[in-house]
Amino acid sequence: MDRPAAGASYQRFPRVRIRELRDDYAKFELRDTDASIANALRRVMIAEVPTVAIDLVEIEVNSSVLNDEFIAHRLGLIPLTSAAAMQMRFSRDCDACDGDGSCEYCSVEFLLSARATDSDQTLEVTANDLRSADPKVCPVDQARAYQQALNADYDTNAGEQRGILIVKLRRGQELRLRAIARKGIGKDHAKWSPAATVTFMYEPDIRINEELMDTLTLDEKRSWVESSPTKVFHLDPITKQVTVCDAEAYTYDDEVIKKAEAMGKPGLVEINAKEDSFIFTVETTGAITAYELIMNAITVLRQKLDAVRLQDDDGDLGELGAHLGGP
Amino acid sequence: MDKATKSASPAGAKEGDYAALRELFRPHVESFDYFLDAGLEEMLSSIRPMEIKDPNSSTILKITLEKGHVLPPMRDGRLGVPLYPQECRQARITYHGEFKVDVCLQCNEEGAQIRHTFNFGHLPIMLMSKLCHLRDADPHKLVFHGEESTEMGGYFICGGMERLIRILILQKRNYPMGMVRGSFLKRGAGYTDKAVVIRCVHTDQSSVTIKLYYLQNGSARLGFWLGGREFLLPVGIVLKALIDTSDREIFTSLTCCYSDKYGRGKGVVSTQLIGERAQIILDEVRDLSLLTRMQCLMHIGKYFRSVMEGFEHYDYETVAKAVLKDYIFVHLENNHDKFNLLIFMLQKLYAIVDQTASPDNPDALQFQEALLPGHLITIFLKDRLQDWLRKSKRLIIEEATKNKSFDLNNALEVRKFLTKHTTSVGRAIESMIKIGKVNSQSGLDLPQRDGMTIHAERLNFHRYISHFRSVHRGAAFAKMRTTAVRKLLPESWGFLCPVHTPDGEPCGLLNHMTSTCRISSFYNSEGVVKDFEKIKKSLSAELVRVGMNPVFPRIERSGPPEVLHVHLDGCILGTISSARIEETVNFLRKLKLLAHSGIPEDLEVGYIPLSLGGAYPGLYLFTNPARFVRPVKNLFIVPGGKQSIELIGPFEQAFMEIRCPDGGDGGRKEMFPATHEEIHPTAILSVVANLTPWSDHNQSPRNMYQCQMAKQTMGFCGQALKFRTDVKAFHLQTPQTPIVRTATYNKYCMDEFPSGTNAIVAVLAYTGYDMEDAMILNKSAVDRGMFRGHIYQTECIDLSKKNRENVPEIFAKSVLSRDTSTAIDSDGLPRLGQTVHPNEQYYSVYNRLTGAIRPVKLKGSEPAYIDYVAVNGASSKGDFQKANIRLRRVRNPIIGDKFSSRHGQKGVCSQLWPDIDMPFSANTGMRPDLIINPHAFPSRMTIAMLLESMAAKAGSLHGKFIDATPFSSSVKKEGKHPRKSDSIVDELGPMLASYGFGYHGTETLYSGFFGTEMECAIFIGPVYYQRLRHMVSDKFQVRTTGRIDQVTRQPIGGRKHGGGIRFGEMERDALLAHGSSYLLHDRLHSCSDYHIADVCSFCGSLLTATVIKSDTQKKDKREMLGLPTVKLAKNLVCQACKTSKGMETVAMPYVFRYLAAELAAMNIKLELRLSNKSELPPSQGS
Repeated sequence: MDRPAAGASYQRFPRVRIRELRDDYAKFELRDTDASIANALRRVMIAEVPTVAIDLVEIEVNSSVLNDEFIAHRLGLIPLTSAAAMQMRFSRDCDACDGDGSCEYCSVEFLLSARATDSDQTLEVTANDLRSADPKVCPVDQARAYQQALNADYDTNAGEQRGILIVKLRRGQELRLRAIARKGIGKDHAKWSPAATVTFMYEPDIRINEELMDTLTLDEKRSWVESSPTKVFHLDPITKQVTVCDAEAYTYDDEVIKKAEAMGKPGLVEINAKEDSFIFTVETTGAITAYELIMNAITVLRQKLDAVRLQDDDGDLGELGAHLGGP
Repeated sequence: MDKATKSASPAGAKEGDYAALRELFRPHVESFDYFLDAGLEEMLSSIRPMEIKDPNSSTILKITLEKGHVLPPMRDGRLGVPLYPQECRQARITYHGEFKVDVCLQCNEEGAQIRHTFNFGHLPIMLMSKLCHLRDADPHKLVFHGEESTEMGGYFICGGMERLIRILILQKRNYPMGMVRGSFLKRGAGYTDKAVVIRCVHTDQSSVTIKLYYLQNGSARLGFWLGGREFLLPVGIVLKALIDTSDREIFTSLTCCYSDKYGRGKGVVSTQLIGERAQIILDEVRDLSLLTRMQCLMHIGKYFRSVMEGFEHYDYETVAKAVLKDYIFVHLENNHDKFNLLIFMLQKLYAIVDQTASPDNPDALQFQEALLPGHLITIFLKDRLQDWLRKSKRLIIEEATKNKSFDLNNALEVRKFLTKHTTSVGRAIESMIKIGKVNSQSGLDLPQRDGMTIHAERLNFHRYISHFRSVHRGAAFAKMRTTAVRKLLPESWGFLCPVHTPDGEPCGLLNHMTSTCRISSFYNSEGVVKDFEKIKKSLSAELVRVGMNPVFPRIERSGPPEVLHVHLDGCILGTISSARIEETVNFLRKLKLLAHSGIPEDLEVGYIPLSLGGAYPGLYLFTNPARFVRPVKNLFIVPGGKQSIELIGPFEQAFMEIRCPDGGDGGRKEMFPATHEEIHPTAILSVVANLTPWSDHNQSPRNMYQCQMAKQTMGFCGQALKFRTDVKAFHLQTPQTPIVRTATYNKYCMDEFPSGTNAIVAVLAYTGYDMEDAMILNKSAVDRGMFRGHIYQTECIDLSKKNRENVPEIFAKSVLSRDTSTAIDSDGLPRLGQTVHPNEQYYSVYNRLTGAIRPVKLKGSEPAYIDYVAVNGASSKGDFQKANIRLRRVRNPIIGDKFSSRHGQKGVCSQLWPDIDMPFSANTGMRPDLIINPHAFPSRMTIAMLLESMAAKAGSLHGKFIDATPFSSSVKKEGKHPRKSDSIVDELGPMLASYGFGYHGTETLYSGFFGTEMECAIFIGPVYYQRLRHMVSDKFQVRTTGRIDQVTRQPIGGRKHGGGIRFGEMERDALLAHGSSYLLHDRLHSCSDYHIADVCSFCGSLLTATVIKSDTQKKDKREMLGLPTVKLAKNLVCQACKTSKGMETVAMPYVFRYLAAELAAMNIKLELRLSNKSELPPSQGS
């Protein structure tokens, strides 16, 4: 690979087009960039966008069937609304409290107190029983219930929000604890990952060889179209033409290519992945909205790049510096 | 009683039907039930009354055991308070009930009978037996009493330990077996290696094995064991002693089976030699000048009076009759029956000698039966009671000789001596169960004395079940060098699982019963004790009806091939003509299936047909308990009736035509039409082997490995974990039910005890960390709780037992200590939920005498949580002396932990890999939980694992469990032809494709590092993975410095003490070969017992150096003056040379110095020659 002359720029101007955006779901296109950027974005979204999650649990009373660590673990996995997480401090960097997790800048306290007194039924302790010290940070279900209560007239039949189950208590059993939620990133523990799923696919470029296609009989066309496990091609019942109906449904499974070869028509279709065009699917746990997730990811990614650029003056970067600065 | 709130979790609303599970444990429970119901009575009545003759007078005291009583377990001290098993486990006591026997004392014949009930201590009670408080309890009650809702019983609780009696293989009872064994030659001169052996079992389950040896001269000897040695009797004497008979009668009886008209045709078992042999037998007796029965009895009595206990004062005739009753064919009562059987055995023996019949294989299941818990306890209890009688007799006679005024008529006095050893009886039974040792003088005709019981480990449910289904061949065979006994023989088809046997030392000896295999018992299907007398009567009536000639009245008989003998439980009923035999057999099989025919449904119709040199023919019927039986379909009965399921045994199975239900004939053609059909092919597999999905698609050893690994998984050991006090229990925090499962999984309610997780498994070589059976776990999946688990360890602290000096100790905390930071609560026991770190105190003990407080520190190298504290039984002052402390240790997956799929594919976690670096699927965004290497498949051929992956994927998309019962494709469906090439893949592929996934279970994945597409399609899908109990946290061993051995100053061994791993000879060789001398020196010297020795170069002695005292004084002076204490060169003097001039320092291993000292102690001087010059030979000892 020949290197461009010094000073030549690799700079490209990626474009983003949002196709669908909901609170916890987003689908967007990312064009004019390469896989490294797309993958970096994916990786940052999964592992480095900060959220708040319960990290320290002090159990006062636990006479439930689950042991303390189990309950603490379950509490940690409850998604908490983390819109403010970007502004919060990591408790390890917090000057106000020396990182002991008891100041407003880096931590949020939760209290839970439940006791089953009903004689017959088991009491379900859910995330809704957590009482937060900071209204901005609370379990996702609580926040949603609150939202629904606000827009009660807008959506009346929203159904009961039961919250995430923590433990079931039998009569006489009790659970009382204090928990501290902290800011963290998914790299440290999966509970801090705001992303349920982040994935991207290369946009496929499907070209049907019409000439060759015309040589197929209707039955052959049909069986070829059906050989794809996903619905990519469409056989028009009237015109008997095979068209690409949903290129993005293609999973690069090569089934149609294999089928064409098996039918003795290699080259019937040509499928290539566009190297610079990605379709992202983002689903969040609810801790932050999909929009925030994407924007925060870009912010984090930029901060990381800044961190690299700022260090670049002295030669500390070693080999990396040589790469960045060029010969 | 508990410190923790005793709150039983409510049993689920739906009550599970655990009948199928209970069925697996039935042999254990039923045999013990019989012991309680009738076996005890039977046994007591068979104990010969002990007669004690007063040495001073002629009074004879007769002690008879009459009626036994076993009471249900009750709490000590308080009457009427039932003792429940859970309390026994907690308090480490035995679940036992009182055992009493009514004893009748009678002086002389005319004396008054004095009855008294003696307390023989306690008998351990089997859980779920008729005396268990939990018998027939519903799940709610079981849960209320702290048990599993599925509790099946079948074991004992001894000292808090759950122990069960192992089912052992014994020789089939009451069947004369032809054997060829080299060891028979050692019986004496003239003996051959051939014999007919019969294990006769009395109604009280005690057995006597009789061997009929063939001698070179054509005669035979009858051998049996009595009092620790084998007695050999000429067979003629026994024949004559049994009944009043004549030489002619014996001769004709023996020779009747030979007829020259048949020559050597099919089914002929006798040759013309039999006449000569009969002559020899008769001559032998005549040579001893024994002509009449009385003479023979006198002859026997003379020999046996000294060895027969309790017969010292009887005449020869009585002794001889007792010998014949107690030792010769104890399963028969009638002497004529015994005579007939002996004649039959002789004929069989001669047939084997002449090779007209083949010997039987003692290793084949066909000639074996099971030793059941209840039977073992019956015979051992009988032995102990007899021992008690003997001991008491000795005591009384001793007393009577010593004390002239002692009177046997004085019942009170006698009773005093009788009660002396009573409790030892109960104790002996308990210790037998506790340690598995059968201590008895006679050996009880058992194959082994040790290892009769095993601990019922509840590591997981598979292991637990397997204990109760296991059948051991006997400890003696484990040491044998030949592997013949370990062979998988076709006779065990359907009874013992061919897959489920461990690898290695117990391979083939420790087998497991198949899931359908049962063991015949004393109870019929209605739960009523069988009346064998009635069965015998109705059977012989039916047999006579179809043409059997009964043995009585005595008529001229003949033998095979003309007629066949009909045996019922070792008793010859009669003969039946060989033309009618097939018809009779079919008739009997029909009777078996009829509910009210009076013929037991598990009757074994062992028909051995006439053959040329095959097994000795005959019709052998068995009704006895302890036989293996299994259900098959009888094809001759109209299929409409539900009664077409017949129970067959291994003895008859060998001669039956049973076809596979695949619709084919199994290659039988028209010649041998099938009479029976298997119910389902999985009937040949044990419960655990049956749980492997599609095991018919795996290479067979992999299924064996899976059976092993299923028993090592860390899963749900029990739902009553909260109440359990197992020394070590493993617990998986987030188990799942498998998506792909066999029919057996549902049948045995395995969902109550799940053992793994459905992990998304990708098969690819990624990062290289999945080489050589290593596997990569997704760190985020582990973060979210996959494979997380705990170890529960219970410590039972019993302060009353511990102290040797009888110093009272109690749990208490120092009053002075206001320290609340420790885990110890005010009562001296730890707080619940507290974390305890290594070397931290967690309970403290107060010594009443010295007033000292002794805090106890946590051992080990990892922290623990206090899970549970229970105090058992307070003393009168309310002090606690016995406590259970349960510690909980977290075991989250880390590098080095072991996992396995259900297909014998085990692997070690090599990395917890970050989620973002895992490959991902572009469409679903799915990242695998686990990555394994594709090299795990080609050589191991575990196709079922690939099928499972596809099926689980389809099933999870579909929202349904997938049935993966093995062989289901080879079972002929009703109205459908067996599928031909319809493979499972062709079933699953379209299912996957319909959800938009690849037909073959593959997906295109993208590299997590680069975001680029990976070239190959990757096989990915959910596979049920098990976490095995082998975890690095329990195994790692590392050390830099630490404790050393006192004598050699070398590092100690053993992980527990922080020792090192031996750097042995072979490791040394490896380093030598590499020439890495520095490393070698480091390992073997610097890091070991490096020592600088002072050697006198004049005398070469290592041991004579002594330090001069003035040195230390100088040092002190310098210290006093405040001068820096320079380390002075040690001023050493050789004691021998009286000079310090030649002292040198030499580095050497300390053991060398030790060797020098040891040698010096033996007056050998070890001399070193020191030199600086390299050309001189290195220093040598001289």
